[in-house]
Amino acid sequence: MKNKIISITFMIFLISISILNIISPALEVSFAERRHLKQFDDFDFKNFLSGQFIEDFDEVALDQFIFRDRFRNLKAILEFEIFNKMDNNNIVVTDDGVFKIEYPLNEKSVEHLSDYINEICNEYLKNSNIYISIIPDKNYYLKEDILKIDYERLEELLMSGLKDMTYIDIKEALSLKDYYLTDPHWKQENLSEVIERLSDAMDFEIVVEDYVKKVFFPFYGAYYGQSALNVVPDTLTYLYNENILNAIVKNYEDPDHIKVYDELKLDDMDSYDVFLSGSSPLITIENSSAKRDHELIIFRDSFSSSLAPLLVESYSKITLVDLRYMPKDLLNEYVDFDDKDVLFMYSTSVVNNSNILK
Amino acid sequence: MLFSSISFIYYFLPLVFIVYFLAPKTYKNMVLLISSLLFYFFGEPIYTSILIFSTIVDFIHSLVIEKYRGQKQAKIALISSIVINVSILGFFKYYDFFIENINVLLQTDFELLGLSLPIGISFFTFQTMSYTIDVYRGEAKAQKSIFGLGTYIALFPQLIAGPIVRYKTIAEEINKREHSYDNFAYGISRFVIGLFKKVLIANALGELSVIAIGANNMSVLFYWIGAIAFSIQIYFDFSGYSDMAIGLGRIFGFHFLENFNYPYVSKSISEFWSRWHISLGSWFKDYVYIPLGGNRGSRLKWFRNIFIVWFLTGFWHGASWNFVIWGLYFGMILFFEKLYLKKLLERLPSVFQHAYVLFIILISFVIFNNESLADIVLYLKGMFGLLNIPIVNQESLYYLKSYSTIIIISIIGATPFVNKCYSRLSNHNYIGKFINIAEPLGYIALILIITGYLVDASFNPFLYFRF
Repeated sequence: MKNKIISITFMIFLISISILNIISPALEVSFAERRHLKQFDDFDFKNFLSGQFIEDFDEVALDQFIFRDRFRNLKAILEFEIFNKMDNNNIVVTDDGVFKIEYPLNEKSVEHLSDYINEICNEYLKNSNIYISIIPDKNYYLKEDILKIDYERLEELLMSGLKDMTYIDIKEALSLKDYYLTDPHWKQENLSEVIERLSDAMDFEIVVEDYVKKVFFPFYGAYYGQSALNVVPDTLTYLYNENILNAIVKNYEDPDHIKVYDELKLDDMDSYDVFLSGSSPLITIENSSAKRDHELIIFRDSFSSSLAPLLVESYSKITLVDLRYMPKDLLNEYVDFDDKDVLFMYSTSVVNNSNILK
Repeated sequence: MLFSSISFIYYFLPLVFIVYFLAPKTYKNMVLLISSLLFYFFGEPIYTSILIFSTIVDFIHSLVIEKYRGQKQAKIALISSIVINVSILGFFKYYDFFIENINVLLQTDFELLGLSLPIGISFFTFQTMSYTIDVYRGEAKAQKSIFGLGTYIALFPQLIAGPIVRYKTIAEEINKREHSYDNFAYGISRFVIGLFKKVLIANALGELSVIAIGANNMSVLFYWIGAIAFSIQIYFDFSGYSDMAIGLGRIFGFHFLENFNYPYVSKSISEFWSRWHISLGSWFKDYVYIPLGGNRGSRLKWFRNIFIVWFLTGFWHGASWNFVIWGLYFGMILFFEKLYLKKLLERLPSVFQHAYVLFIILISFVIFNNESLADIVLYLKGMFGLLNIPIVNQESLYYLKSYSTIIIISIIGATPFVNKCYSRLSNHNYIGKFINIAEPLGYIALILIITGYLVDASFNPFLYFRF
């Protein structure tokens, strides 16, 4: 009797899941994983004979599997709760949030970055005040015993390779609470100490208290989906004042949008794109009512999207250059560097993977 | 096609089950043959022709052998069949290896073919050879139907990674086999357990061994973690596959012989080889070692026979010198074990016997997993602290901690402990009743968990596919 039940229940289970998979409509994107899902292509006999068809079929079957997120969730729970794994797919979940292991320190990448910056300095920045600051990833502040890169070694290696420029150390200006729980980025509303460090070194003044806060909830950060667990989402806060409201943004990727905050993006896959509409090779922010007529150029990654709006009070124009999307050889065509403040500001993740810079 | 893939479990398998069990008895072999060829075609479209060619060759040769039984023609047909099978295997698997070595030795520049290895070729050529040899020896009757023989050779449960099923084992079942709920349930249980071993344990330990072997900051501990993780991985990977094959075979009414019998609990290396990849060991014993004379005759002759068998066993695993060294390493140990060590070992407490076996096995898999002699030496130096590296470091401790539960589970799982507990509890009055109710749900729960792991992963081929 037992064997009859095993046989029948298993067959019913297998066939039901198969039918559900066949009849379920294909999904375009996975919001949890922030990626497009593989779709069925039209049948091609040539592909069928070459074996490509079945390879594609395997990928589609994985991507379009019913309750995909639930199954990923089941696996994550088992990995953490039953097998006591420290991480699942390099994602660590603690009471202090979700973290992604960035390890080991890629010394070649750090050296490549310093050479890369030196080339920019030699080519374009002969008459500029040059600063550099590295944004530690939030793992730096985590007390738990996870694998972390050697931050001191990273700084030492980077600075020993760089020519004349001022290093602005912001490690002590941040703590774990200044980062989102489910996202790698820092919180804009907690950047006052970072701005203080920058203003001390770069000699500008900003009153960081005079902001009106707008909040968005729930903010599901990049690590939320990767964790595949039901983690509490974040609240995303963005700050307004007169300067920010009046600032005019020119986004070379999205010319129609001229505001600092792109609130339509809050409901997109990545709500963090509310800051300056997300990634773009080149953005300028102009503020005619700035305290002084001075310009700043930031070579940056996504962290600066939330930082730059807070600097418009002191700079009449801020140019944000993202070299992940723009080759450095084209800089001369779009940016005038003469007599400007220049800040290289990269997170450790970019420093450790600098080959993504073009 | 992989057993541990969504497309196999949720598309191919249910479709084959439905068509097979709805088909009338006379068409069941045809359904199995077509689905087996499709199964192979999905993984190796072009090489399906080799499988079909090999089947036709052995079908014709075996008929000739049977027709001319006892005559010269039968012997010629046998030799011809063996030459063709060995040539196919030699060409696809060893051609480039020989050319590479000739180029090095003779300073020549012959071009390599760079052909990909047809999946499972080492398994199905050995099966077909065993078939013709058994027919020649009169231990099996030649199959009169090409579809019957094709069903045996191409049978997808065991086609690409064994076990090496002998024709005589399932000869009767090709024409007449029983389909029952008992067979189906047993098959499901073996299949699901095999999948669990592969997807949850072998894949996790595979990850760990790759991390440990490829770590940036090596330590002595990392070398040991890498070696231990690989040794456990290869057992769970291969025995998991055998479980799945045996289970699927049983669903269709075939009784394949066991391929693994808790090899890591062995007390000697000869015991280990009677428990590890049993179908390969017995193949070499019956078709090479015994015909060569076995342990009869002089000690020198016996040594020669051991050398040949273990050279071939190693070489069968891959066209690379490390596999040859691996095979000869075992040959040497078995020779000395039978001559001297066995008696000494038997006098030792069993814990020392187990430690001896595990140590020998661990070193063997270091040889197995490192292609060049230089890499093997480097790895062994690393394990024994001869590389001027720390004993432990932060990275190795992190991964040891992270994988400790799965290592412990896998060590327990490599012993008969779980099976013994299950048998005992099943016989218990109340607990047995509970198990009866819970078991069907247990398999569903396991397959759900496995699906979770498959959906979350992208690529996880079986280790033994390359052999």
